[in-house]
Amino acid sequence: MEAILQSVLDVAGVSASLVFDGGGRLVAHRGHAVYDRALCEQISLVLVKAVDTVQLQQSDWDSITAQYSDGKLLLRNLGEAGGKSYVLAIIADATLNPSFATVAMRVAANKLKHALTGGSASGLSDTGPGSPPGSSPGSSPGPVSSTPGAAKLSSSGLTWSAAASGSLSRVNVADPASGAFLTRCVKELARHVGPMAKVFVEEAARRVSPEAPFSMAASARLVEDLGGQIEDAKDRMAFMTSLAK
Amino acid sequence: MIDLTTLTRLPQVKSAVLSDAAGGLRDASGNVDGEAVAAVTGYLTGALADTGDRLGLGPLQSISFSGRDRASLVLVRGDVVLTTVVEPAAALATVEKTVDAGGE
Repeated sequence: MEAILQSVLDVAGVSASLVFDGGGRLVAHRGHAVYDRALCEQISLVLVKAVDTVQLQQSDWDSITAQYSDGKLLLRNLGEAGGKSYVLAIIADATLNPSFATVAMRVAANKLKHALTGGSASGLSDTGPGSPPGSSPGSSPGPVSSTPGAAKLSSSGLTWSAAASGSLSRVNVADPASGAFLTRCVKELARHVGPMAKVFVEEAARRVSPEAPFSMAASARLVEDLGGQIEDAKDRMAFMTSLAK
Repeated sequence: MIDLTTLTRLPQVKSAVLSDAAGGLRDASGNVDGEAVAAVTGYLTGALADTGDRLGLGPLQSISFSGRDRASLVLVRGDVVLTTVVEPAAALATVEKTVDAGGE
Protein backbone atom coordinates (compact mmCIF):
# COMPACT_ATOMS: atom_id res chain seq x y z
CA MET A 1 0.00 0.00 0.00
CA GLU A 2 2.84 2.38 0.79
CA ALA A 3 4.25 1.81 -2.67
CA ILE A 4 0.95 2.94 -4.16
CA LEU A 5 0.89 6.04 -1.99
CA GLN A 6 4.50 6.73 -2.90
CA SER A 7 3.58 6.75 -6.58
CA VAL A 8 1.03 9.46 -5.83
CA LEU A 9 3.57 11.38 -3.78
CA ASP A 10 5.88 11.36 -6.80
CA VAL A 11 3.45 13.58 -8.71
CA ALA A 12 4.75 17.15 -8.77
CA GLY A 13 3.00 19.30 -6.20
CA VAL A 14 1.80 16.45 -3.99
CA SER A 15 2.93 16.89 -0.40
CA ALA A 16 1.33 13.85 1.19
CA SER A 17 -0.99 10.97 0.41
CA LEU A 18 -2.89 8.95 2.95
CA VAL A 19 -5.65 6.42 3.41
CA PHE A 20 -8.05 6.52 6.34
CA ASP A 21 -11.05 4.44 7.25
CA GLY A 22 -14.64 5.37 8.07
CA GLY A 23 -13.77 5.70 11.73
CA GLY A 24 -11.14 8.35 11.02
CA ARG A 25 -8.30 5.96 11.66
CA LEU A 26 -5.17 6.44 9.59
CA VAL A 27 -4.44 3.27 7.63
CA ALA A 28 -1.35 4.29 5.67
CA HIS A 29 0.45 7.44 4.66
CA ARG A 30 3.41 8.80 2.75
CA GLY A 31 4.48 12.41 2.85
CA HIS A 32 7.20 14.95 3.03
CA ALA A 33 8.82 15.49 6.41
CA VAL A 34 6.32 17.94 7.83
CA TYR A 35 3.40 15.63 7.09
CA ASP A 36 4.31 13.07 9.70
CA ARG A 37 2.12 10.34 11.09
CA ALA A 38 0.85 12.45 13.98
CA LEU A 39 -0.36 15.21 11.67
CA CYS A 40 -1.93 12.72 9.26
CA GLU A 41 -3.76 11.07 12.15
CA GLN A 42 -5.16 14.44 13.21
CA ILE A 43 -6.17 15.23 9.65
CA SER A 44 -7.88 11.86 9.23
CA LEU A 45 -10.07 12.57 12.24
CA VAL A 46 -11.23 15.87 10.79
CA LEU A 47 -11.59 14.63 7.23
CA VAL A 48 -13.81 11.74 8.19
CA LYS A 49 -16.27 14.27 9.61
CA ALA A 50 -16.19 16.15 6.32
CA VAL A 51 -16.81 12.90 4.46
CA ASP A 52 -19.74 12.02 6.73
CA THR A 53 -21.16 15.46 6.01
CA VAL A 54 -20.81 15.12 2.24
CA GLN A 55 -22.58 11.77 2.48
CA LEU A 56 -25.59 13.52 3.93
CA GLN A 57 -25.85 15.47 0.69
CA GLN A 58 -24.64 12.84 -1.71
CA SER A 59 -24.36 9.27 -0.51
CA ASP A 60 -22.85 8.06 -3.78
CA TRP A 61 -19.98 10.56 -3.70
CA ASP A 62 -16.91 9.55 -5.62
CA SER A 63 -14.54 12.47 -5.19
CA ILE A 64 -14.20 15.62 -3.10
CA THR A 65 -11.92 18.55 -3.88
CA ALA A 66 -11.19 21.40 -1.51
CA GLN A 67 -9.43 24.36 -3.06
CA TYR A 68 -7.41 26.66 -0.80
CA SER A 69 -5.45 29.78 -1.61
CA ASP A 70 -2.16 27.90 -1.30
CA GLY A 71 -3.03 24.34 -2.20
CA LYS A 72 -5.56 21.60 -2.62
CA LEU A 73 -6.99 18.67 -0.78
CA LEU A 74 -8.32 15.81 -2.90
CA LEU A 75 -10.35 12.89 -1.57
CA ARG A 76 -11.45 9.78 -3.40
CA ASN A 77 -13.92 7.20 -2.18
CA LEU A 78 -12.35 3.74 -2.10
CA GLY A 79 -15.60 2.04 -1.13
CA GLU A 80 -15.93 -0.67 1.46
CA ALA A 81 -13.79 -3.61 2.34
CA GLY A 82 -14.24 -5.92 5.28
CA GLY A 83 -17.18 -3.91 6.56
CA LYS A 84 -15.28 -0.63 6.63
CA SER A 85 -15.18 2.27 4.23
CA TYR A 86 -11.89 3.78 3.09
CA VAL A 87 -10.86 7.11 1.62
CA LEU A 88 -7.73 8.16 -0.24
CA ALA A 89 -6.61 11.72 0.48
CA ILE A 90 -3.98 13.83 -1.23
CA ILE A 91 -2.54 17.06 0.11
CA ALA A 92 -0.99 19.24 -2.57
CA ASP A 93 0.48 22.68 -3.00
CA ALA A 94 -0.47 25.28 -5.58
CA THR A 95 1.87 23.82 -8.20
CA LEU A 96 -0.21 20.67 -8.59
CA ASN A 97 -1.32 19.89 -12.12
CA PRO A 98 -4.97 18.89 -11.62
CA SER A 99 -5.02 16.65 -14.70
CA PHE A 100 -1.98 14.71 -13.61
CA ALA A 101 -3.37 14.44 -10.11
CA THR A 102 -6.69 13.10 -11.37
CA VAL A 103 -5.01 10.37 -13.37
CA ALA A 104 -2.65 9.47 -10.53
CA MET A 105 -5.55 9.28 -8.09
CA ARG A 106 -7.59 7.06 -10.37
CA VAL A 107 -4.71 4.66 -10.83
CA ALA A 108 -3.91 4.67 -7.14
CA ALA A 109 -7.56 4.23 -6.16
CA ASN A 110 -7.91 1.18 -8.37
CA LYS A 111 -4.80 -0.39 -6.89
CA LEU A 112 -5.81 0.48 -3.35
CA LYS A 113 -9.28 -0.99 -3.83
CA HIS A 114 -7.66 -4.18 -5.03
CA ALA A 115 -5.29 -4.21 -2.07
CA LEU A 116 -8.11 -3.58 0.39
CA THR A 117 -10.59 -6.06 -1.03
CA GLY A 118 -7.86 -8.61 -1.58
CA GLY A 119 -7.37 -8.72 2.17
CA SER A 120 -3.69 -7.93 1.86
CA ALA A 121 -3.31 -7.00 5.49
CA SER A 122 0.43 -7.25 5.06
CA GLY A 123 0.28 -4.32 2.69
CA LEU A 124 -1.36 -2.16 5.32
CA SER A 125 1.88 -1.62 7.10
CA ASP A 126 1.15 1.80 8.50
CA THR A 127 -1.55 0.80 10.90
CA GLY A 128 0.69 0.20 13.87
CA PRO A 129 -0.28 -2.13 16.67
CA GLY A 130 -3.96 -2.82 17.04
CA SER A 131 -6.57 -4.47 14.93
CA PRO A 132 -5.84 -4.51 11.21
CA PRO A 133 -8.14 -2.99 8.63
CA GLY A 134 -10.76 -5.46 7.60
CA SER A 135 -11.58 -6.55 11.12
CA SER A 136 -15.21 -6.62 12.07
CA PRO A 137 -17.00 -3.30 12.44
CA GLY A 138 -16.82 -1.92 15.91
CA SER A 139 -13.94 -4.13 16.97
CA SER A 140 -11.32 -1.53 16.26
CA PRO A 141 -10.26 0.69 19.12
CA GLY A 142 -10.89 3.55 16.70
CA PRO A 143 -10.15 7.20 17.17
CA VAL A 144 -11.28 9.25 20.09
CA SER A 145 -13.34 12.10 18.79
CA SER A 146 -13.75 15.48 20.41
CA THR A 147 -17.45 15.49 19.63
CA PRO A 148 -20.02 13.18 21.16
CA GLY A 149 -21.66 12.59 17.82
CA ALA A 150 -18.50 11.48 16.13
CA ALA A 151 -17.62 9.24 19.03
CA LYS A 152 -21.00 7.65 18.68
CA LEU A 153 -20.33 6.97 15.02
CA SER A 154 -17.02 5.33 15.80
CA SER A 155 -18.42 3.14 18.50
CA SER A 156 -21.47 2.17 16.51
CA GLY A 157 -19.44 0.68 13.71
CA LEU A 158 -21.95 2.05 11.24
CA THR A 159 -20.83 2.80 7.73
CA TRP A 160 -22.59 4.29 4.76
CA SER A 161 -23.27 2.20 1.74
CA ALA A 162 -21.98 3.67 -1.49
CA ALA A 163 -24.98 2.16 -3.20
CA ALA A 164 -27.45 4.06 -1.10
CA SER A 165 -29.11 7.01 -2.74
CA GLY A 166 -30.21 9.26 0.04
CA SER A 167 -31.99 6.52 1.91
CA LEU A 168 -30.97 4.90 5.15
CA SER A 169 -29.12 1.92 3.87
CA ARG A 170 -28.70 0.14 7.20
CA VAL A 171 -32.32 0.22 8.30
CA ASN A 172 -35.00 -2.12 7.00
CA VAL A 173 -38.21 -0.34 6.10
CA ALA A 174 -41.68 -1.74 5.53
CA ASP A 175 -42.47 0.34 2.46
CA PRO A 176 -41.17 3.30 0.40
CA ALA A 177 -43.21 5.80 2.44
CA SER A 178 -41.45 4.70 5.61
CA GLY A 179 -38.08 5.11 3.94
CA ALA A 180 -39.01 8.56 2.73
CA PHE A 181 -40.09 9.50 6.23
CA LEU A 182 -36.73 8.43 7.66
CA THR A 183 -34.94 10.53 5.07
CA ARG A 184 -37.11 13.48 6.01
CA CYS A 185 -36.26 12.92 9.67
CA VAL A 186 -32.56 13.04 8.81
CA LYS A 187 -32.96 16.35 6.99
CA GLU A 188 -34.93 17.93 9.80
CA LEU A 189 -32.69 16.60 12.54
CA ALA A 190 -29.57 17.76 10.67
CA ARG A 191 -30.69 21.35 11.22
CA HIS A 192 -30.33 20.88 14.95
CA VAL A 193 -27.60 18.30 15.51
CA GLY A 194 -25.55 18.56 12.33
CA PRO A 195 -24.20 15.81 10.14
CA MET A 196 -24.58 13.04 12.69
CA ALA A 197 -28.32 13.16 12.15
CA LYS A 198 -28.31 10.14 9.86
CA VAL A 199 -26.62 8.00 12.47
CA PHE A 200 -29.05 9.15 15.14
CA VAL A 201 -32.04 8.34 12.95
CA GLU A 202 -30.70 4.89 12.12
CA GLU A 203 -30.19 4.09 15.76
CA ALA A 204 -33.56 5.50 16.79
CA ALA A 205 -35.36 3.54 14.06
CA ARG A 206 -33.84 0.36 15.40
CA ARG A 207 -34.84 1.30 18.94
CA VAL A 208 -38.49 1.99 18.18
CA SER A 209 -38.84 -0.96 15.83
CA PRO A 210 -36.34 -3.58 16.95
CA GLU A 211 -38.12 -6.69 15.75
CA ALA A 212 -39.68 -5.61 12.46
CA PRO A 213 -38.86 -3.30 9.56
CA PHE A 214 -39.55 0.32 10.42
CA SER A 215 -43.03 1.42 9.38
CA MET A 216 -45.09 4.57 9.68
CA ALA A 217 -46.91 3.00 12.62
CA ALA A 218 -43.77 3.71 14.65
CA SER A 219 -43.29 7.23 13.30
CA ALA A 220 -44.63 9.02 16.38
CA ARG A 221 -42.33 7.06 18.68
CA LEU A 222 -39.43 7.75 16.36
CA VAL A 223 -40.04 11.50 16.38
CA GLU A 224 -40.31 11.48 20.16
CA ASP A 225 -37.10 9.49 20.45
CA LEU A 226 -35.26 11.82 18.09
CA GLY A 227 -36.61 14.86 19.89
CA GLY A 228 -34.70 13.65 22.92
CA GLN A 229 -31.46 14.15 20.97
CA ILE A 230 -32.08 17.91 20.83
CA GLU A 231 -31.16 19.69 24.02
CA ASP A 232 -32.74 23.06 23.34
CA ALA A 233 -36.47 22.94 24.06
CA LYS A 234 -37.33 25.45 21.35
CA ASP A 235 -35.36 23.54 18.75
CA ARG A 236 -36.88 20.29 19.93
CA MET A 237 -40.38 21.70 19.49
CA ALA A 238 -39.51 23.06 16.04
CA PHE A 239 -38.20 19.66 15.03
CA MET A 240 -41.27 17.78 16.23
CA THR A 241 -43.60 20.31 14.67
CA SER A 242 -41.87 20.10 11.30
CA LEU A 243 -42.35 16.35 11.20
CA ALA A 244 -45.97 16.56 12.27
CA LYS A 245 -46.85 18.40 9.06
CA MET B 1 -22.46 39.62 -5.16
CA ILE B 2 -23.65 36.29 -6.52
CA ASP B 3 -27.12 36.44 -8.07
CA LEU B 4 -28.94 33.18 -7.45
CA THR B 5 -31.58 33.83 -10.08
CA THR B 6 -28.96 34.28 -12.76
CA LEU B 7 -27.12 31.24 -11.55
CA THR B 8 -30.14 28.95 -11.64
CA ARG B 9 -30.84 29.97 -15.22
CA LEU B 10 -27.94 27.75 -16.14
CA PRO B 11 -29.58 24.50 -17.26
CA GLN B 12 -27.05 22.41 -15.38
CA VAL B 13 -27.70 24.15 -12.05
CA LYS B 14 -30.61 22.47 -10.31
CA SER B 15 -30.50 24.48 -7.10
CA ALA B 16 -28.49 27.16 -5.35
CA VAL B 17 -28.30 28.08 -1.68
CA LEU B 18 -26.66 31.15 -0.24
CA SER B 19 -25.70 30.87 3.41
CA ASP B 20 -23.23 32.15 5.97
CA ALA B 21 -20.25 30.36 7.43
CA ALA B 22 -22.23 29.45 10.54
CA GLY B 23 -24.81 27.56 8.48
CA GLY B 24 -27.50 30.23 8.47
CA LEU B 25 -29.66 30.45 5.36
CA ARG B 26 -29.64 33.71 3.38
CA ASP B 27 -31.34 32.79 0.15
CA ALA B 28 -32.26 29.73 -1.86
CA SER B 29 -33.40 29.02 -5.37
CA GLY B 30 -34.61 25.84 -7.02
CA ASN B 31 -36.21 22.76 -5.53
CA VAL B 32 -34.13 22.49 -2.38
CA ASP B 33 -34.43 22.49 1.41
CA GLY B 34 -32.30 25.58 1.85
CA GLU B 35 -32.03 25.46 5.62
CA ALA B 36 -30.87 21.86 5.65
CA VAL B 37 -28.32 22.49 2.91
CA ALA B 38 -27.05 25.62 4.66
CA ALA B 39 -26.60 23.75 7.94
CA VAL B 40 -24.76 20.85 6.38
CA THR B 41 -22.60 23.10 4.22
CA GLY B 42 -21.73 25.25 7.22
CA TYR B 43 -20.41 22.22 9.04
CA LEU B 44 -18.54 20.98 5.97
CA THR B 45 -16.80 24.27 5.27
CA GLY B 46 -15.86 24.53 8.94
CA ALA B 47 -14.27 21.08 8.95
CA LEU B 48 -12.34 21.65 5.74
CA ALA B 49 -11.27 25.16 6.71
CA ASP B 50 -9.90 23.66 9.93
CA THR B 51 -8.04 21.06 7.88
CA GLY B 52 -6.56 23.77 5.67
CA ASP B 53 -5.36 25.65 8.72
CA ARG B 54 -3.64 22.58 10.13
CA LEU B 55 -1.98 21.84 6.80
CA GLY B 56 -0.95 25.40 6.05
CA LEU B 57 -2.97 25.51 2.85
CA GLY B 58 -4.41 28.95 3.46
CA PRO B 59 -8.04 30.04 3.45
CA LEU B 60 -10.65 27.70 1.98
CA GLN B 61 -11.97 28.93 -1.38
CA SER B 62 -14.18 26.18 -2.71
CA ILE B 63 -15.30 22.60 -2.29
CA SER B 64 -16.68 20.33 -4.96
CA PHE B 65 -17.93 16.80 -4.66
CA SER B 66 -19.38 14.56 -7.28
CA GLY B 67 -21.01 11.22 -7.77
CA ARG B 68 -22.43 9.27 -10.66
CA ASP B 69 -25.21 11.63 -11.72
CA ARG B 70 -24.73 14.92 -9.97
CA ALA B 71 -22.18 17.14 -8.32
CA SER B 72 -22.15 19.97 -5.83
CA LEU B 73 -20.06 23.09 -5.84
CA VAL B 74 -19.53 25.10 -2.67
CA LEU B 75 -17.91 28.51 -3.05
CA VAL B 76 -16.61 30.33 0.00
CA ARG B 77 -16.30 34.10 -0.27
CA GLY B 78 -15.53 35.49 3.15
CA ASP B 79 -18.55 34.83 5.31
CA VAL B 80 -20.74 33.98 2.33
CA VAL B 81 -21.10 30.39 1.18
CA LEU B 82 -22.79 29.46 -2.10
CA THR B 83 -23.84 25.84 -2.64
CA THR B 84 -25.03 24.67 -6.04
CA VAL B 85 -26.21 21.26 -7.19
CA VAL B 86 -25.16 20.48 -10.73
CA GLU B 87 -26.54 17.85 -13.09
CA PRO B 88 -24.96 16.12 -14.86
CA ALA B 89 -21.83 15.83 -12.77
CA ALA B 90 -19.68 16.37 -15.86
CA ALA B 91 -20.98 19.95 -16.08
CA LEU B 92 -19.27 20.90 -12.82
CA ALA B 93 -16.28 22.59 -14.45
CA THR B 94 -18.53 24.66 -16.72
CA VAL B 95 -20.64 25.86 -13.82
CA GLU B 96 -17.57 26.59 -11.72
CA LYS B 97 -16.19 28.86 -14.42
CA THR B 98 -19.51 30.63 -14.85
CA VAL B 99 -19.93 31.19 -11.12
CA ASP B 100 -16.35 32.40 -10.78
CA ALA B 101 -16.82 34.84 -13.63
CA GLY B 102 -20.02 36.23 -12.16
CA GLY B 103 -19.12 36.16 -8.51
CA GLU B 104 -15.75 37.81 -8.44
